[in-house]
Amino acid sequence: MLFQIFLKTLNRKFLALSDLNASPPSPIKPEGFDPTLKARRRAALKEGWLGIRPAIIPTATWGLVTGIALVKSGLSEQAAVMMTLMVYAGSAQLTSLPLIATGAPLWLIFAAGFIVNVRFLIFGAALQPYFQSLPWYKRFAYGYFTTDMSFVVFMPRFGNAKVRGTQEQRWFFLSMIVIGWFTWQCSSMLGIFLGVMVPDSWSLDYAAILALLGITIPLANSRPMLVAIIAAGCTAWIAQPLPLRLGLLVAVVVGMSAGIWAEQRLNKERA
Amino acid sequence: MNMTEQDLYIAGAIGLLTLCSVVTRASFNLFGHRIPMSDSVRRALLYAPAAALTAIIVPALLPWVPGSNAALVDEKLFAAIIAIVLYQRTRSTIIMIVGGMVSFWVIQALFSFW
Repeated sequence: MLFQIFLKTLNRKFLALSDLNASPPSPIKPEGFDPTLKARRRAALKEGWLGIRPAIIPTATWGLVTGIALVKSGLSEQAAVMMTLMVYAGSAQLTSLPLIATGAPLWLIFAAGFIVNVRFLIFGAALQPYFQSLPWYKRFAYGYFTTDMSFVVFMPRFGNAKVRGTQEQRWFFLSMIVIGWFTWQCSSMLGIFLGVMVPDSWSLDYAAILALLGITIPLANSRPMLVAIIAAGCTAWIAQPLPLRLGLLVAVVVGMSAGIWAEQRLNKERA
Repeated sequence: MNMTEQDLYIAGAIGLLTLCSVVTRASFNLFGHRIPMSDSVRRALLYAPAAALTAIIVPALLPWVPGSNAALVDEKLFAAIIAIVLYQRTRSTIIMIVGGMVSFWVIQALFSFW
């Protein structure tokens, strides 16, 4: 088993080399030095910045609201900072707040965070070919720092690229995720700081629910999705007396089934 | 430093949520082709986040406890409805959050005035 992984790693290293060799050859090529490299890198990083620029204000607003919501929903300043730095996933953080406030079991918090983050599995499956030639720690870093915004900007641009996994594509991605990380962290810290200053009587914990609504309502962009949301909502309302907030899991199962059912029905109607 | 039970609970939650981020974002990059994911699974997973988010929001807006006569409906629900209408009109989540918060304060003031 280990040996297989080792072989695969070797294979990847080899792939990485051939990947480098495949880059367009420059006329003058002293060993290990590519004069066009710097210019190409700079151009790709700048492209990444231009690509992610429209997302900076929305990201910063979200970070700010999330930061405020964290400290206003009962987390201490230190816990909110730790959570922002480590988890780095706004929707999962917001989802966990009502669960933490009611003392839900830890495994359920994990399950809820996982379900809300499951979209990253789908993103990851699509992005994986672009990074597979890298060593494992780089693949890990590119994965961990992937955001919704970077995926949404990256895929339309490089989704149909002839060669997937060029250096230009990765520099472009790198530029976006670095800018995204700083934007999110700075605005979240500002939000945590503001949240500590504002008195509790302003009821800013309600902003956490509004922020969750702000993530959920735009998702309702198709009829099956609307059916899934309504089914999950009704189930969650009825299932409130269940212990340990288990109604959450029941609602997810019912919502998913309803969504698939509505999708199949819609396809039949169209056929 | 003395950690209370509550501190440990929150530290546990943060640790597990970090694990969530790592597993969902990095597993495909790390283990690539070894994770099977059929098209139908992928389509089913599309509905999971929206369902989970809704299931978090609804009990927060419309709480009820069996056997109690406490008011089911309060300013949270009204403000949320206004926020959703604002989003339908403007397609802006920022206006939705700010407008929802302002209407929450206004309705709260009206209720206490009554």
